[in-house]
Amino acid sequence: MTTEPAITVSEKYLHDIKRKLSDYETLINVSSIISSTLKLDDLMNLVMEKAKQELDAEACSILFYNKDTDKLEFEVALCSEDCASDILKKKIVLDMGQGIAGWVAVNLKPLVINDVSSDSRFFADADKLTGFITKSIIAVPLVGRGGLIGVAELINPRKTDYDIEVFNILCGQFAIAIENALFHREVVEQEKLKQELDIAAALQKSFLPELPVFGKGNVLVSAVNIPAKQVGGDLYDFIVTSDDKIGVFIGDVSGKGVSGALYMAKIISDFRYIAMQSDSPGIAFNRLNAMLTNAPRGMFLTAVYIIADVNTGELRAAVAGHPPFLRISNEGVYVEDLLGAPPIGILPVEYPLTIMHLKKGDRLLIFTDGVYEAKNKDGFRIGFDAFVDFVSKNKDEENLIKMVTDYVESFSEGVERADDITLLEVKWLG
Amino acid sequence: MEINIREYKGGKVIEVLGEIDLYSSPLLRNQLMFFVKKKESLLIVDFGGVSYIDSSGIATFVEGLKGVMSFGGKMKMFGLRPAIMEIFSFSKLDKVFDIYGTIEDACNS
Repeated sequence: MTTEPAITVSEKYLHDIKRKLSDYETLINVSSIISSTLKLDDLMNLVMEKAKQELDAEACSILFYNKDTDKLEFEVALCSEDCASDILKKKIVLDMGQGIAGWVAVNLKPLVINDVSSDSRFFADADKLTGFITKSIIAVPLVGRGGLIGVAELINPRKTDYDIEVFNILCGQFAIAIENALFHREVVEQEKLKQELDIAAALQKSFLPELPVFGKGNVLVSAVNIPAKQVGGDLYDFIVTSDDKIGVFIGDVSGKGVSGALYMAKIISDFRYIAMQSDSPGIAFNRLNAMLTNAPRGMFLTAVYIIADVNTGELRAAVAGHPPFLRISNEGVYVEDLLGAPPIGILPVEYPLTIMHLKKGDRLLIFTDGVYEAKNKDGFRIGFDAFVDFVSKNKDEENLIKMVTDYVESFSEGVERADDITLLEVKWLG
Repeated sequence: MEINIREYKGGKVIEVLGEIDLYSSPLLRNQLMFFVKKKESLLIVDFGGVSYIDSSGIATFVEGLKGVMSFGGKMKMFGLRPAIMEIFSFSKLDKVFDIYGTIEDACNS
């Protein structure tokens, strides 16, 4: 029978082994917390609460680095007083290099200060505002794959028997978990935004006429509208102003996306109200301009409004800073650059009225600038003159607006469309 | 898009290079609004290097113009290429903005 040789170890050795075991336990615990959630707030609160417990600290906080302002802002502050946490979050912003956290953020090194009153880097204003008394601090930089995220601080830790290296390793893992949670939050927010935009796009479509074709008497109007983004700034409308007259309206709001769409929604509702009160496009534009003159951020609307007599072919038109339109007749294609005034929403001006007459077989092609300003992958744009040439060559095509749309889409194939495309064709069947 | 600022005969010359569109116009807006806030009495925009401007870019200048007009200041433009001039004339904005051929013409008017 053999006996194991006895080993004698020192008290210190045993103590160190116990501490290491405890450190590993903490590492495992924190790692499981870190992988338990992708919710940023939960993650930060759970980890900081655990760190606070482990070191028996009175308070702890996380300051995030704001790249835009190059400053540190309190994101989490866990202390016994909720109001102190609110004060820190709302009122305290540190410059890089300011205070202990600022020093750690600049130098990317952990800092342990047992007596802050003897350290010139300590920023005492936070204590003055919260009434909290900071005696000692452990501050560690949070550095992720994309660089500095922020600084984690533990205030007044009562346990002093800790290994700063373990704390540093934990913060490294924590930083990557924060980065993952931030990325997750961004993905969730983008998805939410996309859903909101889908709803906005459906809502915006509902502002336009239900059907893209409208006919009355000898007038037949067809429309195509393709927004550049989910929601766009182009608009059109057909409106029956009296028994023998229809109004045809096309507009382009400066700016796109949500701001353009909101402005477009306001305009279309104002326009419908005004159009029912006046049979003159010039007067309608004067009124619309008066309603929109104080548009925010210099926003404006370019537009054409034509009221057509469905029996006689007489057209009364007003132009507000909108590109010329085309008149297509049996003889050729003519650029109609009518006397107009600047876009709506800029200056108090009077919009002149032009009277035209359509003959048998005449068509008008009215469009927004997105049509001829479409860009190809080499950076070239179609250009107004080249667009007129294309229409001239294809003027006898039955479905001209479809042909033009296909042409613009194939020209800008492989390029993200920067502007909405809207085309209206007014045919005189008389 | 790139923006350079220089002084010329008591005015601030804002030289814009490249395309002014939805993505670049916020940068231009910051610059214009900075001068509006400082109540600069004469802003001269050098369009010589502008290859394209969309409606967001024009709206930015409209906002800048309204801003300088609010304290009696002026905004002038010069050096517009034919394609840019076409955008301003199609939209009748040549009636809204003071547009000149050269910086001298802009300053002497």
